[in-house]
Amino acid sequence: MPITFEHVSHTYSEGTPYQYAALKDVNLDIQEGKITAVIGQTGSGKSTLVQHLNALLLPDEGEIHILDRVIKAGEKPKKLKSLRGDVGLVFQFPEYQLFEETVLKDVAFGPKNFGCSEEEAEEKARKALKLVDLPEDCYLKSPLELSGGQKRRTAIAGILAMDPKVLVLDEPTAGLDPAGTKAMMSLFYELNQKYGKTVLMVTHDMENVFAYCDDVAVVADGSILVHTNAQDFFRDSKLCRSMNILPPALIRMRDMLNEKGFDIPADVQDVDVLADYIAKQVKSHE
Amino acid sequence: MNNFTLGRYLPMDSPIHKMDPRAKIGAMLIALIAIFFPAGWIGYAVIFAVVACVIILSKLSWGFIWKAMKPMMFMLFFLLVINILVVKTGDEWLTLGSFTIYSNAVIQTLYIAVRLLLMIMITTCLTATTKPLDMTLGIEDLLKPFQKIGVPSHEIAMLISIALRFIPDLIDETERIMKAQESRGVDMKEGKLSERVMAILSLIVPLFVSAFQRAEDLANAMEARGYAPGEPRTRYKVLKMERRDYILLLGAVLLLACMIWLAYFR
Repeated sequence: MPITFEHVSHTYSEGTPYQYAALKDVNLDIQEGKITAVIGQTGSGKSTLVQHLNALLLPDEGEIHILDRVIKAGEKPKKLKSLRGDVGLVFQFPEYQLFEETVLKDVAFGPKNFGCSEEEAEEKARKALKLVDLPEDCYLKSPLELSGGQKRRTAIAGILAMDPKVLVLDEPTAGLDPAGTKAMMSLFYELNQKYGKTVLMVTHDMENVFAYCDDVAVVADGSILVHTNAQDFFRDSKLCRSMNILPPALIRMRDMLNEKGFDIPADVQDVDVLADYIAKQVKSHE
Repeated sequence: MNNFTLGRYLPMDSPIHKMDPRAKIGAMLIALIAIFFPAGWIGYAVIFAVVACVIILSKLSWGFIWKAMKPMMFMLFFLLVINILVVKTGDEWLTLGSFTIYSNAVIQTLYIAVRLLLMIMITTCLTATTKPLDMTLGIEDLLKPFQKIGVPSHEIAMLISIALRFIPDLIDETERIMKAQESRGVDMKEGKLSERVMAILSLIVPLFVSAFQRAEDLANAMEARGYAPGEPRTRYKVLKMERRDYILLLGAVLLLACMIWLAYFR
């Protein structure tokens, strides 16, 4: 069951001088079981878009179909709580939402809100913490004692403990070091591959999109500009550059070589294949 | 959360907006004192007329003023109930069984209501026409004479301007944390008492943590730029009293005199 947006519009502060249309007639089909990257410039409406997925924001026009539920404009959504349990939304800098005395309790907070008993919640929390690879001696520490990266893991575990079917992430790797970024991205990849979770991710890092994502949706000025699979997206780097987004290193390399007279096809998106092409063309040149 | 009116600045081009904040604060204080003289309904009518002139001059809409008053309505209703229960003087107006409502209860409430509404109108005139930063400059200058008796006027002004500066940020932060916790299944609006306590806790604790973090960051940033309280400082914006400012102050003093005359010498 895909997630679909049909003619969705959202306007902030309607009827005041601060009125601002963040989404304008958005149509979008997100495939289940895939990792979809949502990219776009700051203020393009990405965050507004993802907050519609668990009904934190409601559409002013249009409707959204998600996991056999329908959110319609002008209607109070039913079964709101179960929707929020099924669609886990991780905000930007989620470490700011930690509040419990211990890491374990904080992660168990979500499941408890969805009706789990104390023991069940703790079990789920331990499982989620193991998944994010937090060392066990941190479990009984205060979240405030942890390092930045560990806090981020704890906060993400707090959402994973609810065992959502769809995972929505708003810039999950912002402010992490390269090792932390890699660990985080492999975690989301594993969740998708091993547990079949649908992942939707707002990001500015094209390397992550290139390495891990199946599909790419480009948001510009409140509308979906392009929605395609990642391979097609990276055939041409013009779109990236037009949005001031740096394309992945491999694509930049490919483009630069082609500018200098090499002839490397656009569907080359693998280091080894690229190396082969370069070797072949250098050899034939000699 | 962005729709409260009380104390908000409205950028507009009017003679009142251009006035010196010190004159405006001074005039407001004098007008507030004038309200508390028992000058009767005529007195209140005079004050209202003067304040109405200022409002018209400042190009504020009456809808805006009305919105600023609205939050007070609940308090006034509460006051009326208490007065009806407590005040037992004046004519008997209405008897319900063993319980009687006296005229003074209603009249006293009306007096307080009119005073409160006038006060809100006057303070709204000040806050809606004065930039928060200008306001703090004005407060700093007005407190300067008290420095001799140990009032830290600059520090107080800095404190107020920092507090004002962070209100929008904290509102944003609150909204963000609320949404984040709602995503974890917290219901901010309904639920059992124990659930609601937990919901509020899950909002307050992160808010405090981030507020302290911000405070520390700001303190470091200020120190890094060599800020030291109490040291003599120059100002980018120098306040200057002009003719219209003196006219405003004179008007306020005349209003006060008028109230004293109405209250005691008539």
